[in-house]
Amino acid sequence: MPDELTPKPGEARPGTDSGLAGAEIEPILTVPPVVGAPKPHPILVVDDLTRSFGGLRAVDVDHLEVERGVVTALIGPNGAGKTTLFNQLTGFDRADTGRWSFDGQPVSSPSPDQLARKGMIRTFQLTKSLAKLSVLDNVLLGAPGQVGERLSAAPFRSRWQGQEEANVEQAEELLHRFNLAHMRDELAGTLSGGQRKLLEVARALMADPVMIMLDEPMAGVNPALAQSLMRHITELAFEGLTVVFIEHAMDVVTGISDWVVVLAQGRIIAEGPPWKVIHDDEVIDAYLGRRRAGAGS
Amino acid sequence: MAFDIIFGNAARAAFGPEAVILALAAVGLNVHFGFTGLLNFGQVGFLLLGAYGTSVSVATFGWSLWVGILVGLVLSVALAVAFGLPTLRLHVVMFAIVTIAAAEIIRILIGSTDAIGLTGGPLSVSFDAEAFYDLNPYPDGPHDRYGVGTFEFTGQQMWVITVGWVLVALVSLVVFLIVRSPWGRVLKSIREDEDATRSLGKNVFSYKMQALIIGGVIGGMGGVVDAIKTSGADPNGFRPQVTFFAYTALLLGGAATYVGPILGAILFWFLREWIESFLRQLSAEAWLPSTVADFLDGAEGVISVAMVGLSLVLLMLFRPQGITGSRTEMQLDAR
Ligand SMILES: Nc1ncnc2c1ncn2[C@@H]1O[C@H](COP(=O)(O)OP(=O)(O)OP(=O)(O)O)[C@@H](O)[C@H]1O
Ligand SMILES: [Mg+2]
Repeated sequence: MPDELTPKPGEARPGTDSGLAGAEIEPILTVPPVVGAPKPHPILVVDDLTRSFGGLRAVDVDHLEVERGVVTALIGPNGAGKTTLFNQLTGFDRADTGRWSFDGQPVSSPSPDQLARKGMIRTFQLTKSLAKLSVLDNVLLGAPGQVGERLSAAPFRSRWQGQEEANVEQAEELLHRFNLAHMRDELAGTLSGGQRKLLEVARALMADPVMIMLDEPMAGVNPALAQSLMRHITELAFEGLTVVFIEHAMDVVTGISDWVVVLAQGRIIAEGPPWKVIHDDEVIDAYLGRRRAGAGS
Repeated sequence: MAFDIIFGNAARAAFGPEAVILALAAVGLNVHFGFTGLLNFGQVGFLLLGAYGTSVSVATFGWSLWVGILVGLVLSVALAVAFGLPTLRLHVVMFAIVTIAAAEIIRILIGSTDAIGLTGGPLSVSFDAEAFYDLNPYPDGPHDRYGVGTFEFTGQQMWVITVGWVLVALVSLVVFLIVRSPWGRVLKSIREDEDATRSLGKNVFSYKMQALIIGGVIGGMGGVVDAIKTSGADPNGFRPQVTFFAYTALLLGGAATYVGPILGAILFWFLREWIESFLRQLSAEAWLPSTVADFLDGAEGVISVAMVGLSLVLLMLFRPQGITGSRTEMQLDAR
């Protein structure tokens, strides 16, 4: 169902402080690099979030704040719980315990579609392309507030055609940006793995997110295109979009993120600006697989 | 051999009321399975409620036929909600099991001796559909026939099938209009990947429920046509195979297309009746060895259904997308 609260492209997003981006010094730089540090303009605040699978504690986060309008990287070794954390926050998996608030509102009963309509849009590590829909339709599905998605308006083309045409224009722009314009009318199922990743990001951006959560968006995408994708994402962050992305490649992380959160065995072991975090002993240990005495407790 | 008689029988079946009923069942199923990916194995339940809602309203409660039709359709909606509320959030396989079981439970309850007072139980129910036939514009004398050669109908039959096919056309038009819209795009996305659809802010449960109701009511219309055509309803007419015949028609014609289910229903009845008539004629031929003739005698109906099944197997091998489906879409399933 369409959500009247979702702003149309071009309109100011509610709660977005337009003076934030481009200020003399980014407020995030004033935040001390300690785990659980409060942020000046948090869009997401998480408390005591846990999730266990049998005896395994996949996620165990005491406190996490995500700053609005910046690019935050979530890193950590395989199996650290990054995807599980995403699933929890976006309502795709139930959390055992925990509270969180998004965009100033507490998330009481997390349901994926409700959160998405509030502007929390995620992509999946294992891409979910809609195989028998055209590439263009995949992207168009992301468009928020399309009246024609209501059954009462669906049979009457005149009621949704104008909106559809505007959406097509926006979708084509996105496809062009992600080198998919030539595939516009192909079925999405015919795309390669990397192209599907790109399509999913395009679709998520089409949904006009307030915060976009990308689970390894660059995996399998060729480096040049990955570069342009990241550049696009930083541009959007500059315009006020909040970006959280999971990534393993350190050069990408240091290249575009303003803030890095490190997860290992479900716990946040470090956070801070990239150049500080990558020199953190505990982070290096987590990546090299060594366990320090007391770590993970 | 009298091929003109065989052809006449087949053509009458292909365009007769049975094909109308099957077409409606298949068009509804197409909304469920073809467009939304809902594996509904209880489509016959909607036909049953459409037919019994109409029949019982008129026969037991003495209401007018038009009220009866409305009752039949409302019951179809109720069944969709009852199917959907507890199961649409579950896995597709769960949904399939629940639907097939629920439809069969309803049939057994309606056909039980305890229900004789209400539904006629195992004795079936019958009523007078004159309110419908009063509107018949076709002269219906004992010698009035419509058609060419062996392919001909009586005036009453003409009236049923005219209304029936117009109904099929109207319903298909509505399905076309709503499915080619952004609403239909959401349905197809749900078929492809529920979680992806959810992640873009669509209330998947609500869309599935809408699809279930729409397809169910279309199936219910099939039941209404059945009730009017037979002037009643019999529990034996609503066994689970009706659902599978509807799937056969849908897959023959091509799922997720607009004319596929209609074409499939016509073809299904043409093939079935052609084979059955052919076998009947054959077993009457004098030159057949008596063992073969004895084997065929009385088994024509069963064999013809088996042959339709065989043709479906062949179709899946050589043209898995059905007659009107798209080959490229089908090939994606292999990826
Ligand atoms: N549905 C599940 N059932 C059981 N265990 C699970 C489930 N989902 C995740 N896990 C476990 O939780 C842990 C965290 O998994 P998760 O997918 O969140 O890791 P990740 O940080 O995303 O890793 P990667 O970088 O490899 O994607 C793993 O040990 C995994 O085996
Ligand atoms: Mg992961």
